[in-house]
Amino acid sequence: MANEAVLVAMGAVPGAWLRFRVVNHLEPMIPRKHWGTFGVNLVACFCLGLLVGLEQSCGPAPSQALLLLGTGFLGSFSTFSTFMAELFVVLRERRWGESVLLGGGSVLGGLIAMAMGLATGGQP
Amino acid sequence: MNRSALTGSAMAMEVREIALVGAGAIPGALLRWQLESVGDHWVGGLQVAAESDLIANLLGCFCMGLVIAIRPPRPRLTLLAAIGFCGSLTTFSSWMLELAHAFSHGQGHDAIGVLLVSLVGGLLALVGGFCLVRLGERAFGSRRVGSSNGATRR
Repeated sequence: MANEAVLVAMGAVPGAWLRFRVVNHLEPMIPRKHWGTFGVNLVACFCLGLLVGLEQSCGPAPSQALLLLGTGFLGSFSTFSTFMAELFVVLRERRWGESVLLGGGSVLGGLIAMAMGLATGGQP
Repeated sequence: MNRSALTGSAMAMEVREIALVGAGAIPGALLRWQLESVGDHWVGGLQVAAESDLIANLLGCFCMGLVIAIRPPRPRLTLLAAIGFCGSLTTFSSWMLELAHAFSHGQGHDAIGVLLVSLVGGLLALVGGFCLVRLGERAFGSRRVGSSNGATRR
């Protein structure tokens, strides 16, 4: 239990830090900041799919690896609250088209990235 | 000489940012991990909801609403609470994994239910937190309202 908590915490710090830096780094290159969060979330979905797919094709992974990488790192790297906050901002600006694009795109893109990760990891 | 001093201060700032984001991220991720086991004995749609970190996500959105309502924005609080704590407490990847899992196991209705509850609930939780701070400002005669010059910042 204590060791497991250390693993989750050890993954969480670089995950959150990397998200912050990547979103800030991308900000000047993209029209709106929320597309940075969108990209981070899609990458996290692909990586988690890959991790789970690899586990299915290569046999059970050590639970420590899943806690460190899945729950800790990727869980902290991806975010739902920032996505919601940015969606809220777009909705408040009454930019309906962009809010549908951001909300729908995140869900559809996330599912597609997840499926791609699962398929890639699941290759024998 | 000058350049090394500059690099030194940039590094000190970087370290301070890592410390703030990390100090928020650790309790956030640990709380999310513990909340995952809350729904261990639930079944059907509720189980999908619990495994997709719905509780953590809604809680995180509420906290995020509180933080973004504070004005003027406080950079250090944003790093610690919004980016660190709320960002780590909530997750997008597990949410998508559980939805993909439910869709592929013939639980399409549960998946769509969880999807809608997450999106609508997340927005409502965020707005709830946001409005709570705004109401508090009004009730307690906030000194900070409208202080765009930042003179009232501590």
